[in-house]
Amino acid sequence: MPGRQLLEHAPQRTTHGERPRAAWLSPGAPSSGVEDICSLVIDTRYFRRESLLSGGSWRFPLLAGLVIGGVLSAALGGGWEPTWDLGRFDQTIGWSGAGKIVWMFVGGLFIGFGTRFGGGCTSGHGIFGLSNLELPSLVTNVSFMVGGIVFTNILYRVIL
Amino acid sequence: MRPNPMILFYVVTGTVFGYALSRSGAADYDFIQAMFLFENIQLYGIIGTAVVVTTPLIWLLKRHGCTITGETLVIVNKPQHRGNVAGGLLFGVGWSIAGMCPGPILVNIGEGKVYALAALAGALVGAAAFGTLYPKIARPFRLPPLEVGTGDG
Repeated sequence: MPGRQLLEHAPQRTTHGERPRAAWLSPGAPSSGVEDICSLVIDTRYFRRESLLSGGSWRFPLLAGLVIGGVLSAALGGGWEPTWDLGRFDQTIGWSGAGKIVWMFVGGLFIGFGTRFGGGCTSGHGIFGLSNLELPSLVTNVSFMVGGIVFTNILYRVIL
Repeated sequence: MRPNPMILFYVVTGTVFGYALSRSGAADYDFIQAMFLFENIQLYGIIGTAVVVTTPLIWLLKRHGCTITGETLVIVNKPQHRGNVAGGLLFGVGWSIAGMCPGPILVNIGEGKVYALAALAGALVGAAAFGTLYPKIARPFRLPPLEVGTGDG
């Protein structure tokens, strides 16, 4: 039973509050990072579990780096400025302002719920999980590619 | 959470990753749609390249068995459960709607794309909803015990 094995190998704190001198690597940051942020404000057992909290010390600074990387990329490639441009969406669906906010929020709901349900995102299951030859990651990868291909094709080839 | 002397390293690693995601098109709505429509296969190449490069490096890391600071390295494999398929499908739909996966949400915010803040808000609410519903959906989807979770990533 994979769950039991994982529990036995999960990071444990000793009575002194120090973790054993070992690097417990549960790689993949972005979707668990979303849970890290949740854990700051939500005090349920799920968001207090050790396997989540023990990763916060490296995931938070990594997530901050992702934002900085985006700033750098924009600044070095034509200059940073706030934008609402959304390419193909603007040319077809054409919603702006509140409509675009709702669209993105709904997309975010699926992303947040789905990645945590599936146990990882394109980083954890995609790049890392596949590289580490993990079967659940292959299953999840196929699933999210199918979800995306089906929805985008329905939207842009059937509806629009 | 204890302060960690490695924080600067994590920030720099994230910055490099974020910059690469931005320049590769992984944080671009049109590139994501073109990938799902098979109009442009660049992103498949990006992901494939990352996997091909990372696979031997992880193998070496596991073989070497410790980190640069001498700590024993233990890679926790992700558990298998029915959420892999169900959650994967839901995430795929969200990826298509927003044109972003979780990392690129943050990259998009950095790039100045204002609407990405709405996607982040949605992702937080979605993850919070999942955490709240965990005890209810754990049994039908055979999820691991709550203390373990579905897998980090």
